[in-house]
Amino acid sequence: MSPRWLRYLRFVRPNARADVDEELAFHIEMRVQRNLALGMTAEQARADALDRFGDVARVRDQLVSHDTRKQTVSERKEYVSDFAQDLRFGWRSLRRAPAFAAAAVATLAIGIGANAAIFSAVEAIVLRPLPYAAPEQLVSLGRGSAGEFTALRDRLHSYSKLAAYVGQTHPIDDGEEAVRLEGAAITTNLLTTLGVKPLLGRDFTDGEGVLGNNTVLILSYGLWQRRFGGDPAAIGRRILLEGAPVTIVGVMPPDFQFPGRETQYWMPYAFNPANVGLTWAVGDKWFIGRLAPAMTPAAAQRELRAVWPSIRFLDPLWEPGPDYRTDATVTPLQDVVVGTARTLLWILFGCVLLVLVIGCVNVANLLLARATARERELSVRAALGGGRGRLLRQLVTESLLLSALGSALGVALAYGALRWFVALMPASVPRTHEIALNGTVLGFTALVGVVAGIAFGIIPALRATNVSRAATTSGRATAGLNHQRVAGLLVATEVALAVLLGVGSVLLVRSFTALRRVDPGFESAHVIAARVSPPGVGYSDPHRVTNLYVSLLDRLATLPGVQSAAAVNKLPMAQSVWGIAVRIEGQFEDNKHPLPDIAHFQEITPGYFETMGIHVLRGRPFSEADREDQAPVTIVSESVARHFWPGADAIGKRIGYAWDSPWLTVVGIVADVRQDSLRDTAVTSMYVPWQQRSRMSGNEMWLLARSTGDPGSLASAMRGLVRETDRAVPVSDVRTMETVVADSVQKARFTTLLVAAFALAALLLGAVGIYGVMSYLVAQRTREMGIRLALGATARDVTGLVVRRGAVLATIGAAAGIIASFAATRALASLLFGVSARDPITLALVPLLFLIVAVIASAAPAVRAARVNPVRALRAD
Amino acid sequence: MPALHRNSNDLLQGTLAILILKALLLGPSHGYAVARWVEDTTADVLRIEEGSLYPALRRLEDRGWVTSDWGVSDNNRRARFYTITAAGRKHLRAEATVWLKYSQAVTRVLRAAPALA
Repeated sequence: MSPRWLRYLRFVRPNARADVDEELAFHIEMRVQRNLALGMTAEQARADALDRFGDVARVRDQLVSHDTRKQTVSERKEYVSDFAQDLRFGWRSLRRAPAFAAAAVATLAIGIGANAAIFSAVEAIVLRPLPYAAPEQLVSLGRGSAGEFTALRDRLHSYSKLAAYVGQTHPIDDGEEAVRLEGAAITTNLLTTLGVKPLLGRDFTDGEGVLGNNTVLILSYGLWQRRFGGDPAAIGRRILLEGAPVTIVGVMPPDFQFPGRETQYWMPYAFNPANVGLTWAVGDKWFIGRLAPAMTPAAAQRELRAVWPSIRFLDPLWEPGPDYRTDATVTPLQDVVVGTARTLLWILFGCVLLVLVIGCVNVANLLLARATARERELSVRAALGGGRGRLLRQLVTESLLLSALGSALGVALAYGALRWFVALMPASVPRTHEIALNGTVLGFTALVGVVAGIAFGIIPALRATNVSRAATTSGRATAGLNHQRVAGLLVATEVALAVLLGVGSVLLVRSFTALRRVDPGFESAHVIAARVSPPGVGYSDPHRVTNLYVSLLDRLATLPGVQSAAAVNKLPMAQSVWGIAVRIEGQFEDNKHPLPDIAHFQEITPGYFETMGIHVLRGRPFSEADREDQAPVTIVSESVARHFWPGADAIGKRIGYAWDSPWLTVVGIVADVRQDSLRDTAVTSMYVPWQQRSRMSGNEMWLLARSTGDPGSLASAMRGLVRETDRAVPVSDVRTMETVVADSVQKARFTTLLVAAFALAALLLGAVGIYGVMSYLVAQRTREMGIRLALGATARDVTGLVVRRGAVLATIGAAAGIIASFAATRALASLLFGVSARDPITLALVPLLFLIVAVIASAAPAVRAARVNPVRALRAD
Repeated sequence: MPALHRNSNDLLQGTLAILILKALLLGPSHGYAVARWVEDTTADVLRIEEGSLYPALRRLEDRGWVTSDWGVSDNNRRARFYTITAAGRKHLRAEATVWLKYSQAVTRVLRAAPALA
């Protein structure tokens, strides 16, 4: 039995089955009648007829299938030929109205192009599965120490593989040049966990995960190309990592960027249980796992939350509280890789969708206006027998033609803009190398084009065909009030959407300016920094390291234009300035229980505060006298002093490291510094003299110079200085502090810039839209204006009438926009700084701006309305 | 009665086409009329399985030799009428020539000595 709905088809198309039945029945009936006439009984007559006919059922089936097939083919042909005809007709009618066509196509191209570009990023970064084997099985378990990793690996059963990695940076020397490169230490099973293989050479072996055997390296494709010219003979070569020889055993494929864009090499993570501190106290490793077949992340998380707290007793150094890691999570690896870029991209995508919708509303308005101009043509076509459906199809085909042209141009625009867009993206956005206008993006664009074409085409088409039907019966084209209402609705919608986008962008701009106005606690102007990374092997002796920096600082201070020079182990806003757990004399002295954290800990040379422009509020800065053999001292930031010794003098109080060590006496208090970013709210800092640094610190320091003039001019001199001193010591990241601070707000700048650009586009489109609709409404009401003027209305009255209408529409739209903003800007909250998502000033100013724009945009048509010649207006039909 | 009775399989499709096209030379007619014409003209010697007429008509229509349309029969009933096209006539003429030559040749062979017993 065919589906029920098929039955209705017989009303609209010939029914093959019924026709065949009728034809065959007729034949048999005629034969029966003849047989009866020849004198047979009714029974004989029927039997003979059927006998002569043969197998009725078979013939019937044969005919039905033949006829149905034929019918389908001919319908398809007819449809295609109708479509081709509509297309030709649409093309001709667009060519007759080039200004309209250009405006519509350009509007759509901008909207669709922006969508294609942003969607290509959304697709590559958020939607596309990670480029690893069965990526849906890959999960992240969070971070922990090497000791915790091995303990978990032995106890968890939800995974077929568990691996860990940690980002690292090391000096690498290939004999020609020593450079500092970002890389990662990975457990030897990490690549097999991800399901990736080296392009050249081999993966690590299990044995290489042990200290002493880990002197092997896998290069990224980019590093291999840059440093070895893509020579396969690079495999087996030995280079120096931290001054120690390692052998290159493999090269990864070009698209393998793990864990990040900047990762250029991988080395085996060497477990060293003998070093208890390294094994248990450094919880910076990321744990990833491949779920066992049929295991869900939720079940894996339940197991993790049961197991992780149970291993806390294994830690020989300290005993975490009972709720330790009970909140551990198992999240898809993709979420960890994409991170905060997800919110950012979805917000941008929402913005471009809004721009496109506004564009569509504009085009719909243009079409409405055009339909008025074409009323005659349409009514003639309707009168000539073009059914409403056929006419509707014609008009929608025309819209689709517009959107197809817009999409094609939009894709071209997106293609051009994509490189620029990707280059502008903050460094923290992952997977940007995967962004491309691929099949998925083109498919999405085509879909958007079709949906847009129907969306902006259907209302004007319905209205137009309604009008033409009315026109054929009444003889006169009467657009009527409905028509105006539709146009008004479209304008109000447009204003609402533009207000929404405007509010979002003003919030971002305000938050960005607020961010830039934040006092970081240091003076970035005139300061330049350079990262110096002495290799571990050549500089294993701390005295050699000390001598290196003493000599570098001496020479730096004598460079012309240098006011003061200093060094610091972690540069604010360039990298994470880690915190430290401390004991406070008389308050927290027991190192077996949770100790308070100070958010940032830095080792500095005596000139640091002066060079960075950090105010010393009380006490003294460090001096050359604070040497290794002197009493240990420290300087704390204002908020540390306030927090631990409220109402008392912090100078002379004592702080200790979490481990057993002598107390450090506070000798000075300095201003708070935002160390990690301008948004940093944890501003507690603790400084120790570099000469008294702990043995755990690395060799790396940042040289800083305050210059009297442009600090950028010192860059090459600083590089040269380090190279001349020791060519095995890489110098990198030579940047002015102003650049460093600007880069730290790169993401905010990117978002703000793009959203503001979209909002500007929306504002322009909105203004154009209001102007278009007001012109259209005025044109519609020319007659009415004529009558008003003839009846004694002044030009002022008429102008007022039109402007008022524009203002009313804009007010309605703006009100709707404010309401929408209330709901939508919550999504922005995580990006905002120093301004509320419901900032009243923004919510008042933006709609006001659009009101003004609306009034201005309606002014020109209003003036035109006032100039209507009453006589001509009344004579016009 | 010697007849090529009920052996429609023996009737080549081409032959059926010729019979139908020839029948339609008289003017548009429905399937039953075609069957009756063949029956009358051949004195029921070439008795075709009437059901096979219709697929044959569809094939002729697909090739453009006949067209069809719904009309009203003599007894005032809706029926599907088939009309021969110019292409159909041309095809018939060509086929008829071949047939006539063939049957003349076969006749000559059969008449040749020695005579049939």
